[in-house]
Amino acid sequence: MNDRTDPTPLSRRALLKSAGVLGAAGLLAPWLGAPPPALAQGNLGNLVPEEPVEATLKRLFGGRPIKDGSSAIKLELPIIAENGALVPISVEVASLMTPQSYVKTIYVISDKNRRPMNARFTLTPASGQAFVATNLRLGESTDVRAVAELSDGTLLMARRDVKVTIGGCGG
Amino acid sequence: MTDIGKVRIRIPSGIKAGDVVRARVLVLHPMEIVERRAGKPVDKNYLFINRVVVSYAGREIGLFDLTQSVSENPFLSFAFRAAEPGQLKVTFLDTHGGRYEGTADVKFG
Repeated sequence: MNDRTDPTPLSRRALLKSAGVLGAAGLLAPWLGAPPPALAQGNLGNLVPEEPVEATLKRLFGGRPIKDGSSAIKLELPIIAENGALVPISVEVASLMTPQSYVKTIYVISDKNRRPMNARFTLTPASGQAFVATNLRLGESTDVRAVAELSDGTLLMARRDVKVTIGGCGG
Repeated sequence: MTDIGKVRIRIPSGIKAGDVVRARVLVLHPMEIVERRAGKPVDKNYLFINRVVVSYAGREIGLFDLTQSVSENPFLSFAFRAAEPGQLKVTFLDTHGGRYEGTADVKFG
């Protein structure tokens, strides 16, 4: 079991799949099967990095163009979040979720959190609907972005700003 | 926290074959955040859920990577296509090797 918060944009499954296809597991996924960190040792180095949001986008998507997806992505967040420790968010991407064309991954990124990369949802056509929801911790008023990666590699992004009254120490 | 890892799954009732339904899942977990001492992050083995595996009728249909920016006692909601009767299983994995599972049976009325 791989216990790391891995820093790569690919899912473990996608990596395994591509590794299987190309027969190059060693090259593609050198960290697969890495032992979990010992309990005495910290895992600070394994967390998603503390970085400005531009660096996060660059790290996750390289230089790939990100299209405006505000018409395809329904991003729901409160306008004012009274408690930054619990900010409900839901993301729905318009897609039929067929094996030919589906939403592969949804990233939730909040610009002003110390570690902007917040959650990554890897979906499959069996999801039936590209919908995810969760509760976020937001440190301060910030833009929150949802980036959807489609099965053909297209990247779509929508963003909303949230006013946070009391910060939630969003790690 | 003795209740750590308690999972609750809710799915709608009266699901028909082929419906796309939304499940809601809650797990009790502290989701420890990074501590700072004099502005510097402290290196310790923070306890939080970093991976969630969703499977339905024995097939993996979703894989979620979470961070400490997800609230304490994480709530998650997602959709799935109820193509056949089977079990919806959500497995939470945390950084200390904890593994917590919740299941819900999908039956057609």
